[in-house]
Amino acid sequence: MDLFRTAEKMGFQWLKILNKDPRLDGMDDLSGTEIPLHYIFKLASHAIHLVVFYERSGHYLWHGPLRLKQHMDRKFVPFRKLHFGRYPGAYEKPELLLASIDDLKVQIPKNPSSFLEEISHSRFLECRYREARAFFQLYPDDASLDAVEFRKKAKSLLHLAALTLNNLGVKFWLSSGTCLGWYRQCNIIPYSKDVDLGVFIRDYKADIIPAFQKAGLPLKHKFGKVEDSLELSFQGEGDIKLDIFFFYEEDDHIWNGGTQAKSGKKFKYLFPKFTLCWTEFVELKVHVPCETLQYVEANYGPDWRVPVKMWDWKSSPSNVQDNGVWPVDEWDDVIQIY
Amino acid sequence: MDEWKPNPVVKPHKKRSWYLAWKYKLMNQRALRKLCQTGAVLFLLVTVIVNIKLILDTRRAAYEEEEESTQDYDDEMLNVEVPRHPASTRKILDVEVYSSRSKVYVAVDGTTVLEDEAREQGRGIHVIVLNQATGHVMAKRVFDTYSPHEDEAMVLFLNMVARGRILIFTIKDEGSFHLKDTAKNLLKSLGSQVAPFLSWRDMWTFVGKKGGEVYGEKHAKSPALSTWGDPVLLKTEVHLTSMEDAECHWPDTELNRRRRRFCSKVEGYGSVCSCKDPTPIEFNPDPLKDNKVFDVPVAVIAGNRPNYLYRMLRSLLSAQGVNPEMITVFVDGYYEEPMDVVELFGLAGIQHTPISIKNARVSQHYKASLTATFNLHPEAKFAVVLEEDLDISVDFFSFLSQSIYLLEEDESLYCISAWNDQGYEHTAEDPSLLYRVETMPGLGWVLRKSLYKEELEPKWPTPEKLWDWDMWMRMPEQRKGRECIIPDISRSYHFGIVGLNMNGYFHEAYFKKHKFNTVPNVQLKNVESLKKDAYEIEIHRLLGEAEVLDHSKNPCEDSFVPDTEGKVYVMFIRMEQEADFTTWTQLAKCLHIWDLDVRGNHKGLWRLFRKKNHFLVVGVPASPYSSKKPSSVTPIYMEPPAKEEGAVAVPAVAAAEQT
Repeated sequence: MDLFRTAEKMGFQWLKILNKDPRLDGMDDLSGTEIPLHYIFKLASHAIHLVVFYERSGHYLWHGPLRLKQHMDRKFVPFRKLHFGRYPGAYEKPELLLASIDDLKVQIPKNPSSFLEEISHSRFLECRYREARAFFQLYPDDASLDAVEFRKKAKSLLHLAALTLNNLGVKFWLSSGTCLGWYRQCNIIPYSKDVDLGVFIRDYKADIIPAFQKAGLPLKHKFGKVEDSLELSFQGEGDIKLDIFFFYEEDDHIWNGGTQAKSGKKFKYLFPKFTLCWTEFVELKVHVPCETLQYVEANYGPDWRVPVKMWDWKSSPSNVQDNGVWPVDEWDDVIQIY
Repeated sequence: MDEWKPNPVVKPHKKRSWYLAWKYKLMNQRALRKLCQTGAVLFLLVTVIVNIKLILDTRRAAYEEEEESTQDYDDEMLNVEVPRHPASTRKILDVEVYSSRSKVYVAVDGTTVLEDEAREQGRGIHVIVLNQATGHVMAKRVFDTYSPHEDEAMVLFLNMVARGRILIFTIKDEGSFHLKDTAKNLLKSLGSQVAPFLSWRDMWTFVGKKGGEVYGEKHAKSPALSTWGDPVLLKTEVHLTSMEDAECHWPDTELNRRRRRFCSKVEGYGSVCSCKDPTPIEFNPDPLKDNKVFDVPVAVIAGNRPNYLYRMLRSLLSAQGVNPEMITVFVDGYYEEPMDVVELFGLAGIQHTPISIKNARVSQHYKASLTATFNLHPEAKFAVVLEEDLDISVDFFSFLSQSIYLLEEDESLYCISAWNDQGYEHTAEDPSLLYRVETMPGLGWVLRKSLYKEELEPKWPTPEKLWDWDMWMRMPEQRKGRECIIPDISRSYHFGIVGLNMNGYFHEAYFKKHKFNTVPNVQLKNVESLKKDAYEIEIHRLLGEAEVLDHSKNPCEDSFVPDTEGKVYVMFIRMEQEADFTTWTQLAKCLHIWDLDVRGNHKGLWRLFRKKNHFLVVGVPASPYSSKKPSSVTPIYMEPPAKEEGAVAVPAVAAAEQT
């Protein structure tokens, strides 16, 4: 390429990092040529790190990790100091602006601070397609019309929920059955009855309920209160509902609460502390716990790989604990069903 | 006793041998001793040096490049009996060729490059082409010269192979029955002594260089008509040449580097590898003004028919408005040659690990390719889907550029296809004309992303369902009453003779005489009228203008249509209900158009051309256009023939009734 020859003429040394194209990952086994992920141009003690972003389904930009191959010079530049490349990253597609900097015409993001802010939590996880294929070898996928219909509905519900929460600026992640579906089989579990999302209680906004109402998802029930075990459930099209679990952070663990409407019993689900990573799920860029295995094992136990069609939220989860009962005088507040 | 005094006169007694005396004399001389010691040390040093040199020399020889070592080789070396060639310097190839009734094999340097002992297949002459510098297999073919015309194909193939290549021939079962003189003469010119006399059930092997020497030939005559010749095993040596001798000296450009990589790996592609005036591999078709499909990804679905793929890509890259960066070839399996062809043209290729069998394998390959296409181009709203056995018309992208907005704006459309199922040389006339049809022809079409992602992909047939993907797409559950836009004259030509659903006879009957557009830059007429409601207005207008033909005549006869040009005629056939295609099928059969299933209809109406006149066929009373039928006309009814060989459908012409 002319770029490299010109750079060399100017005295630059350069390094190219290629790797497999993750857009070819999926339920099929495809392989094409490697794609460029990073270029590093070095001149004297300066280095220019060219990060190659690819647009992916779900309207986001992705860049790959920077991994050196065997023959590459590990001292080429101080790699550990680079801002991009420790992990693959996902970013909102920024609008670009032509700017003049030092008499050079360059494109910069229209909102530089927002772009830069994304760096610290841009870490991206690919779905585990190989494991998903292995899972389907053992447990063939349900190809019935009902399953197809459910998946379709769940996908559009998830897209709508994501749109609504993103507009409100509320951070959320895939939780429970939806998270298990992503982790285990890279798809929505056809017999899971609903879509489950998680939100940190500190991110709660009162606007959530009216926003969903406006989006066509009326509130079906509200359990608990902001201070304790809050849980919201919205009615989607047909039989399917959207459950939002609010998570409470303690010093050494995170938990969310559940309520049994008829008895006022409270339940607590414990999770080890986790951070959030991006991933792509049913053509959507969403968060999942970075430490997904821990999260899934906490919720579903060591046998999470085995499909369980009969799931009782009160007793099946491995991390469920009795948490007492709501005082009767609070019931009107903490148990609201519409 | 007195003191003994030595006798001064008598000499001392010499009892010792002169050897010993000499030896002791030497040993006693210091200088000589020193000399011997240094001599011994020197001798030791010399042997050590010689040994080290020997070790270094052999090491260097072991690491030398193959090419360099071949240059050192003298012809004289060949006469030396070398029992085993060192693996690092393959200057000579050991070639073994076996020919027999039920088995053939060819081994090069101990590696089997061809082995066929399957029953009921692989009959005829097997040909292997080796690169004369590397010994690599460049092409493998089998010509069933027991059957007619295969010898012609073999002659064509051999004429395309470059001079200097090593050719290996071996017969399995029978290869002489339809081996005619032209082929025999060609083999004779290659140096074969036996070929001109090959006869029934003879076994034969031959290794020679095209335009050069013969390396070996062995033959076994069949003793009697009912038996085969004895199996023949030919063992011979072929000496390799240098790389320079095996390659052409094209000017060093990026294109020629690609060409060189291809031509030194693969044979059988003819003039693209000619040393003089090789066929171009880059095409510069005219750009298309206001190209609405420049950013639409093109998926070429391919299997293992690299010579087809080569032909197809040439025509695709020559089409006006093509954007090579948007083309991805998906190969169904880890086959090298199709990928070599893709790289020759500088295109992107992706290999797919095949799953399942037969038509299910094809259907899974389509799914994987379409999903990957939309993943690689997430912003695309459409994808063009092509196959490796299609010629693409020069105005293919122009055709799509003018019509694609319909797919975007009209929800009642399922696809746009370049193929008119009924568009034969005698039934298609107007390159600027478009139709709406209730079928999905495939064979070069545009898929809407929303249709794929929302409807088709989630319920695509699973790998164990042995269904044809296109039949599945045509089912009402998938098509949901939507229609495709097709041109009167197809913008693709199906040339594939070999394939999962193809054979020579099928091709001859249904594909060979298909009309294919070769006019560039055709401006499509009245594209807006292809939208759902506008099309109905257009049909009504046409039917109003159409002259009703004489229904007492036989519609299969040419005389059914008057000897005019450019007029519009209409004919009414019996169609009891929506799915009654009895008469249509018989009509299609006698008109020699597609009759294997019903294609090309739009609400019980078919449109084609006869003798350059527009010819409309309306099914009465099922079609809503039946209202246009004059009351005096009885719709023609044609029955399928009684199950007799050779019976032809005769239109049941009802007596002209005045109703």
